[in-house]
Amino acid sequence: MKNRIERLEALARELRFHIVDMVYKAQSGHCGGSLSSADIVTALYFDIMNLDPANPRWPGRDRFVLSKGHACPVQYGALAMKGYFPIQELGTLRRLHSRLQGHPVAGKLPGIEITTGSLGVGFCEGIGMALDAKLRKEAWRMWILLGDGELDEGSVWEAAQAGAKYSLDTVTAIVDRNGLQNDGFCDDIMPMRSVAEKFRAFGWNTLEIDGHDMAAVVAALEEAKKIHGVPTCIVANTVKGKGVSFMENKRDWHGKPPNEAQYAIAVAELKAEAVR
Amino acid sequence: MNLPKATHPTRREFSERMAQRGQGSDFAVFESDIGYSTYSYLFGDKFPERYFNLGIAEVSTMAAAAGMASSGRPVFVCGYGVFLTMRALEIVRSFVCYPNLDVKILSSHGGVTAAIDGVTHQATEDIAFMTTLPNMKVLCPCDGVSAQAAFDLALDHPGPVFTRLMRDPLYSLYPEGAEFRLGGSHTVREGGDITLAAYGDMVFETLEAADRLEAEGITAKVMDLYSLKPLDFEGIEAAAMATGALLVIENHQERNGIGAFVGDALARKGLCLPFDHIGLKDTGLRPLCFEHC
Repeated sequence: MKNRIERLEALARELRFHIVDMVYKAQSGHCGGSLSSADIVTALYFDIMNLDPANPRWPGRDRFVLSKGHACPVQYGALAMKGYFPIQELGTLRRLHSRLQGHPVAGKLPGIEITTGSLGVGFCEGIGMALDAKLRKEAWRMWILLGDGELDEGSVWEAAQAGAKYSLDTVTAIVDRNGLQNDGFCDDIMPMRSVAEKFRAFGWNTLEIDGHDMAAVVAALEEAKKIHGVPTCIVANTVKGKGVSFMENKRDWHGKPPNEAQYAIAVAELKAEAVR
Repeated sequence: MNLPKATHPTRREFSERMAQRGQGSDFAVFESDIGYSTYSYLFGDKFPERYFNLGIAEVSTMAAAAGMASSGRPVFVCGYGVFLTMRALEIVRSFVCYPNLDVKILSSHGGVTAAIDGVTHQATEDIAFMTTLPNMKVLCPCDGVSAQAAFDLALDHPGPVFTRLMRDPLYSLYPEGAEFRLGGSHTVREGGDITLAAYGDMVFETLEAADRLEAEGITAKVMDLYSLKPLDFEGIEAAAMATGALLVIENHQERNGIGAFVGDALARKGLCLPFDHIGLKDTGLRPLCFEHC
């Protein structure tokens, strides 16, 4: 178990480097919400999900939907590290003709299951995908990553009701609860109280964890697999911009690229973290 | 116009065909809780495991349909046109049409014909929105035979298809077995002085008008434009050139409707002939009480 967690922690550090690096090269993109979800995404792609990067459309694969589509650097980074496409292609983020659009688009990049980015939609799409799996009697699991600001959208709660109605126990929604959204702290923009209590009231099994404690992340994702009869929501308490000191818990690092000096500091910090 | 009254509205005919075609095909039906109004319950009663009532929630219903269709399974989303094409418009655009997913929209209560339900239930801009979206095909049958044919065209086309259907039973126009195709049209009355092109319930209003014109010594050719996108512009152009004049009639806003599209296409081809189109003139249906109170 110790080796398993240490391996994942090392991969998460590498993923954080790619996030900062690609957003710096693009001079556009979302570091904050990508860094906050890096540990969760690492655990999913490198430990939990059943995938075959050489055969991205293998019917039995687990599905991952990035409902908070603006955090696509975290998914692009993980996909490249898994071998879905060359690492160098990360440098094309947000450029004309790139497969790495500013929000994920289906049919371009291997490993992207469905178009997302308009908040509150990917979660509903994931529910529809899981309904299809149920009809086909397929056992693959549906993993959906949401932002906490995204929970402002009413469609999330519409689909939450549907997930409970149809007992979609193959669905696990992970809420990246970093407490910040575009314009400020979530609790100032639209106070949302207890996310876990809300999902419980909507009929979901819920877990609440420290989203940067890799052992806790892995344990919660494993736990979700064992639940029968209801979908699971994992509320992962995280820090926006995690891993880069000057980005942590800062509103203005939601969607801003680092400049040259900031990039140098960020890379140095992420490398120092790797050595420690 | 001497046509038999229809026993069922087009919304019901479409859904009856949906229930028939459920056998031998694996499509699913998503309903936003007006299944007894869209008649989608006819499918639900026969195939309950593929019938999903996702509640009064058009946005998530449309997005979940996109999710299911991403596996290749066709999904019919049923509801009132005004909600599916306006409340869920962004979902239809970004998550159905752009990825070209196999989602079909059964859109009831098209035009002002749903008058007694009030303006909130009248879809009078739906054709503008739907014909504007890339990959979307748009149909509007006028009677039972063409409504059942529209279902077949929708199911058999791989990709998004929107079908505007009517609330009320009107008339029966086509014989059983009449043929329809995407991009097709039918001439439903011959005439030599003007071409009148209409779709949906306006086909019958137009046939009525053609009768009156005939009494005045003007013979009108009447076209049923049941396929709005792709539109049979070649057929319209040929009829217009042969008769020397063209009028498009629609139960929709004049702006950005089919008449406006036809006018634009005529101008681009440099065709000059007497042309006009009739629709709602930048207004909704005026409540009667304003005139009588």
